[in-house]
Amino acid sequence: MLTINDLSKSYGDHAVPLRDRLILDNLNLTINAGEVYGLLGPNGAGKTTVINLICNLLKPDSGIIKINQKSLSQTTKSWLGVAPQENLLYKTLTCQENLDFYGKIYGLKSSERKTRIELCLQAVNLLDRAKSPVEILSGGMQRRLNIAVAIIHQPKLLILDEPTTGLDIEARYDIWQLIQNLQQQGITILLTTHLLDEAQRLCQKIGILKKGKLLAEGSLDELQQLIPAQEVLTIKTPEENKALERAKNLGLIHRRYGGDLCFWLPEPLELRQVLDLFQGIVIDSIARQPVQLEHIYLEVTQEKFISH
Amino acid sequence: MRQSWQEILAVAQRILIELGRRKRSLIFWIIFPISVLLLNGFIFADRSGLAISEAMEYAAPSSLVGAALFFSCLGGSVATVVSEREQHTLKRLFISPLRGTSYFLGIFLAHAVIGIGQSLVVYAIASFFGAKFQGSILLGILIIFLSIISYVGVGFLIGTQLARRTEDVNALVATFGVPLLILGGAFFPASIFPKTLLAIAQYNPIYHMNQALTGVWAEGDDIDALGSHFKFLIIFTVLMILSGWFSYQQMLNKERRL
Repeated sequence: MLTINDLSKSYGDHAVPLRDRLILDNLNLTINAGEVYGLLGPNGAGKTTVINLICNLLKPDSGIIKINQKSLSQTTKSWLGVAPQENLLYKTLTCQENLDFYGKIYGLKSSERKTRIELCLQAVNLLDRAKSPVEILSGGMQRRLNIAVAIIHQPKLLILDEPTTGLDIEARYDIWQLIQNLQQQGITILLTTHLLDEAQRLCQKIGILKKGKLLAEGSLDELQQLIPAQEVLTIKTPEENKALERAKNLGLIHRRYGGDLCFWLPEPLELRQVLDLFQGIVIDSIARQPVQLEHIYLEVTQEKFISH
Repeated sequence: MRQSWQEILAVAQRILIELGRRKRSLIFWIIFPISVLLLNGFIFADRSGLAISEAMEYAAPSSLVGAALFFSCLGGSVATVVSEREQHTLKRLFISPLRGTSYFLGIFLAHAVIGIGQSLVVYAIASFFGAKFQGSILLGILIIFLSIISYVGVGFLIGTQLARRTEDVNALVATFGVPLLILGGAFFPASIFPKTLLAIAQYNPIYHMNQALTGVWAEGDDIDALGSHFKFLIIFTVLMILSGWFSYQQMLNKERRL
């Protein structure tokens, strides 16, 4: 569906060395039809630049972007649906009027437009608010309408730029459900986010971007192979040095996640086996969990990983 | 072609719906030309000794092109571009297949509808006082259209180049607009201007719009009699289309990213 080959983009003053103003550095990425691809990365990683380039709003320094084997053009614009981070809606118009306006811009005929408006409002669960002005809708409703506008013309590729940022948990669940429904309808989705649980829940394939480089890419299972662990053990102890010494002797790798002391377990252990590992050390609490995307993300985005 | 037309209509319809939603603004847009016409008409009748019907024939063109269309078409198109920029909806238009020409023509069409509405209101009131069209109605309509295009072109120029926020619109329109209106004969007839002001007024498009429409509809002039006013207006209109278009392209290059 979408292929990006050797894409590079730089901004700014040419007097500054290229490496310091390089936003994307030889990016290669493929999104297959029907999948939800999660592009993760911290702020400034280059995610929005990738979207700007796919939308043909920016010209790359080098590299090729193709949608369905076609280079970017006026035609490919109508194959794309984009829901930007902000809700780009006409506030005094109703939901229906916003959709009608964009339906016309995308060339839908009158009867087709009517059907699509109804389907889109239904898809985002706003059918009962069709005649409500946007300005009176809640933030979550506006975000759903923002997505409805992006799908009014049945795009082949839907780009969702941080669709749940700033929403409360209920609204976030609504959006997640909506994304899953859209995928079931066969829409290919590129989702940028910095919410790792969102990516883990929704995406079949994940790319981790930092400083313009794609550091890792694959399904969650494939990404889990990047760190030699199946479980992460988090312990709270007043005797951290002792615990670290013990772990070193056992050959366990340790990390600190937000101040918590964690150890990577190469294979799942029974609770008794875990307690045996730290016998003789005072333990306040202990928790085990399978390796999560956040562990992989933190590992991959470390400076040493980037320099490889 | 069908698609371009659909895009133009979509942009125009959206602007008009938004205006229709702001009912208070809509009422003010109707009251404004009426009050300017009545004030101009009665003052002119009193000072010139003309009958009220004849005074209205002279007051209507200046009230229309000099005041009503100026604020609705120039001020309105600046406000349209600035509010699109402030709401960031321009960004969504950039990623859509909407052509720049359709966007420009859509804004023009919306303001042409508003301008036609204001023309009907002004001439309905003037007719109520007995005013009549002395010259060609079609030529008058052509002058009104040229004025609307010029104003929308200037509005694009200001909206894309100078006004960054809604608050800027009033300041810009007041700074550039009001002196041009006075010098264009919107509030005082150009016949009472001192010679130096009259010489400066020759470079003011509003003066030529006003003189051309007054010539046609109040004095019954034909296209030859309008002479330099009509030529100036045509050249100015073409220049404003070009500069409005150029400014829009510049804005596209500057702001086209999410």
